[in-house]
Amino acid sequence: MGIDVAGRGIAITATGLTKVYRNGPVEVHALRGVDFTALRGEFVVVLGPSGSGKSTFLNILGGIDSASAGSVLFNGQDITRLDETGLTRYRRDHVGFVFQFYNLVPSLTALENVALVTEISANPMRPDEALDLVGLTARRDHFPAQLSGGEQQRVAIARAIAKRPELLFCDEPTGALDSATGIMVLEALTEANRATGATTLVITHNAAIREIADRTLRFADGRIVEDTANPCRKRADQVSW
Amino acid sequence: MVIPPLRRKVWRDIRRLWGQALAIALVLGAGVATMILGNGAYGALSDTRARYYADHRFADIFADLTRAPLGLLEDIATLDGVLQAEARIVKLARPEIPGLAEPAALLLVSLPESGGLNRLYLREGRLPAPDAANEALVSQDFARVHRLRSGARMTVVMNGKRQDLEITGIALSPEFIYALGPGEMMPDPRRFGVAWLSRPALQAAYDLDGAFSNVVLRLAPGTPPARVIQSLDRLTLPYGGGGATGRDEQTSHAFLDAELGQLRAMVRVLPPVFLLVAAMLVHMTLSRLIALEREQIGLLKALGYGPTRIAAHYLEFVLAIALAGVVAGLAAGTWLGAGLAQLYARFFSFPFLDFGRDPQVYGLAAIVALVAAAGGALQSLRAVIALPPAIAMAPPAPPDYRKTASVAERLLPLRQTGRMVLRHLLRWPLRSVTSIFGVAMAVAILVASLWSFGSIERMIHVTFGLAEGADARITFATATPAAAVLDLRHLPGVMAAEPFRVLPARLSHGTRSKRLAIEGRSPTARLSRLLSPALRPMPVPEHGLILSEALAAALGVGRGDRVEVAFLQGRRAVVDLPVSGISLGYVGLGAAMDLDTLNRANGEGDLVSGANVALDAAETDAFLAAADAAPAIGFVTLTDLTVARFRATLAENITLMITVYVGLAAIIAVGVVYSFFRVSLSEQGRDLASLRVLGFTRAEVARIVMAELAAIVLLAQPLGWLLGHLIGRAMVAAFSSDLYRVPFVMGREVYATASLTVIAAALVSALAIRGRIDRLDLIAVLKTRE
Repeated sequence: MGIDVAGRGIAITATGLTKVYRNGPVEVHALRGVDFTALRGEFVVVLGPSGSGKSTFLNILGGIDSASAGSVLFNGQDITRLDETGLTRYRRDHVGFVFQFYNLVPSLTALENVALVTEISANPMRPDEALDLVGLTARRDHFPAQLSGGEQQRVAIARAIAKRPELLFCDEPTGALDSATGIMVLEALTEANRATGATTLVITHNAAIREIADRTLRFADGRIVEDTANPCRKRADQVSW
Repeated sequence: MVIPPLRRKVWRDIRRLWGQALAIALVLGAGVATMILGNGAYGALSDTRARYYADHRFADIFADLTRAPLGLLEDIATLDGVLQAEARIVKLARPEIPGLAEPAALLLVSLPESGGLNRLYLREGRLPAPDAANEALVSQDFARVHRLRSGARMTVVMNGKRQDLEITGIALSPEFIYALGPGEMMPDPRRFGVAWLSRPALQAAYDLDGAFSNVVLRLAPGTPPARVIQSLDRLTLPYGGGGATGRDEQTSHAFLDAELGQLRAMVRVLPPVFLLVAAMLVHMTLSRLIALEREQIGLLKALGYGPTRIAAHYLEFVLAIALAGVVAGLAAGTWLGAGLAQLYARFFSFPFLDFGRDPQVYGLAAIVALVAAAGGALQSLRAVIALPPAIAMAPPAPPDYRKTASVAERLLPLRQTGRMVLRHLLRWPLRSVTSIFGVAMAVAILVASLWSFGSIERMIHVTFGLAEGADARITFATATPAAAVLDLRHLPGVMAAEPFRVLPARLSHGTRSKRLAIEGRSPTARLSRLLSPALRPMPVPEHGLILSEALAAALGVGRGDRVEVAFLQGRRAVVDLPVSGISLGYVGLGAAMDLDTLNRANGEGDLVSGANVALDAAETDAFLAAADAAPAIGFVTLTDLTVARFRATLAENITLMITVYVGLAAIIAVGVVYSFFRVSLSEQGRDLASLRVLGFTRAEVARIVMAELAAIVLLAQPLGWLLGHLIGRAMVAAFSSDLYRVPFVMGREVYATASLTVIAAALVSALAIRGRIDRLDLIAVLKTRE
């Protein structure tokens, strides 16, 4: 595994990643040979218009979609070659997900939603510890229906990081939230990134968020067209949109 | 023609939800089929019987006597309420059929006069000539089994003399729709038949010139039979009569009544169960569909469709499915009905048995089914009407689970997935409860039908294993001095012979009264024993009577009560006897007392009617041949044959019935499980896909839904057992008549078999839909709200 100049190891590497959907007679090229490397603990924001391929990219990296060509190396293993069982194992042990619509289980309380994941993880935090990280200890026994959108999303983040994942993938985590709530969610994300050292990839439409990242990728037409480092990260509450 | 877009949507929805639509249609179809079957068979049997009775002038009152002068008929005919009276000669004879070693009996009946009662239906051939001494008609089933056609000859031992008869034709009579031989439990046309001869022929054979031995009456409409029976008994008493019966005690009529009673019970239980379950499935499926289509409903309202128009659209969806079920049910019911009619034709001799396609029965079944389906849709349709367009367009709030955290949870060491299962079940209690009820009904149907196996075995074991130890029962042609039993001991193969005396009597207690044959038994008898309800042998008391449970119940008496016994033969003594005990008995009404006491009370001297004998199995054939040749012997019944016939007939019937019930139960189980599964998966599909993304394996995710299903199916079992038990008890009550009393034997194996069958059906449907869990779309859930 390579070492970058800053002395951090490489978390994940994609090479020549290609995805072609066949939609009837039409072939849709969602990804056209993407090369990408993320370092351990790196916070990466992924920008780009709808249909640019960023979600497909994240889904393949997260092991919930398959690639048409190319490889994704994680811990020396090409996850594009894993079967269903291998991919499930990969997601279970190494990946945390945060979705745009939270996807909490409505029949479980905040704490139980987190425990859902810690129960099947090898080396998890305590569920209340994870909730504490996102500042929701007081709401631990509330059901999703009793929580605001922002609170639900922070529970989702707690759930994603409770297993201490090496990779944290967030697809539009603030997409359904107003800006004030969105900022709290971003704070929770940066805190999670800091506390767990998980390599974090955040897809967003909101260009302002790039200011809190180490690095920004811009997708267009199935390719990374811009890869910018951000030497001076801002805190989430300093961002405005 | 332009198909309105909403109509197209109905068809597309049905195509999309074909599995659930099929489940609903099947359950509803089963309800319709059982309705057609039950009502149709009931109608067919009762209508056919009514028409047959009317066309062939079936008598209302029947009386046997020893010998009465024909002059008495005039007195009988002028009794108040009597429309018509006919004197007959009815005698039991023995046919000699080549190749038939077992004892057989032929009931000889004098031909009805022209315009007389119990007129025959001539299937083929011609009537015997009015004065022909050796011509006869034979009953259809007997002729069929023995391949007798018009023109064939047959030897019959009449009054001890062999007589060669020519068969002039084959006939049926309303008197023998169900033809039961003497001493038999099931009809066996091989060993029992009816032959009609001219009156002169029977007069000559039985020395009854100018006399008769049986009279039948037709009453003016509305005349109560009891009063006429009383008057008739008074008139016939001096001639060996006095035991007239109405139709309700006429064997053939009573068995048909019992069958009709069972059909009525079936119609009351089965169709409502299916309709209820179908309504429940409609509710389950439609409420989910409407929850999923909130936005579409809002959109339609926003576009200007009226609420009733939209509700009508969903009603159309339900009715289209229901209509498919109705059509399938009508077809299945017709098909099963034809099968049932064939089965009836084997037991009941009708000249015609049309499983009538009564449009009323069909129309009613269709309407009831459609109403049930619409009823199931009602609540959902009201929700559609009430939904305001603005709210309908917004995504629904996440379901609130606050109230589902229950006590049960604190007691059970549950993982988070276990909590999901429990809370999801508690979140929709009505659905969970109705699903449990539905599966329980499948179990109940099986329990309520499977118990009959054990019950029959118990009947056979008790009757033939414990009570009747005799290998054969010999009945003399007429009551004979007791010494004749000694002669029987000299017949080949007879190892022991114990005499019995059977005397007709009327037993009364208060206003209740029953006519039956009292059996006199030797107190030393070992072959045939009376059993207490606890299955212990009961000694024959010196003075009192032992009544069977059915008789005691019919008379409303218990041990220690006294009953009035009016003997209907001989001195016709009327005595008051104590009830010394109650015995177990499954067939007919029974009363027993000491042989000598009986003879003393009756005053005809030391007579016996026959004997129970123990046989050396190796010499059975020689015994039968000798018995056949002995003129004094009226007929012989062999226990083994009776049991075999009983078992074979019931086994055939019950196997058929159980096959139908297992099919029906499986339809319910599969229908409920499949619908529940689909709705549950639809509600939780997004959660389950999220779990998959979080790293849960397919098996772990499937286990969540399967656990929910397992909870429903398992919770349904005890309820199903209980309901089945209750239905079984109700069936016993419905089946019990003066003819039969069915023991209620509900063993653990009944519950186990019912449960395993339903669980197997549930597993099959669960495995069939497991693929849907495996195919959950992981990417879609990330991008969409519900």
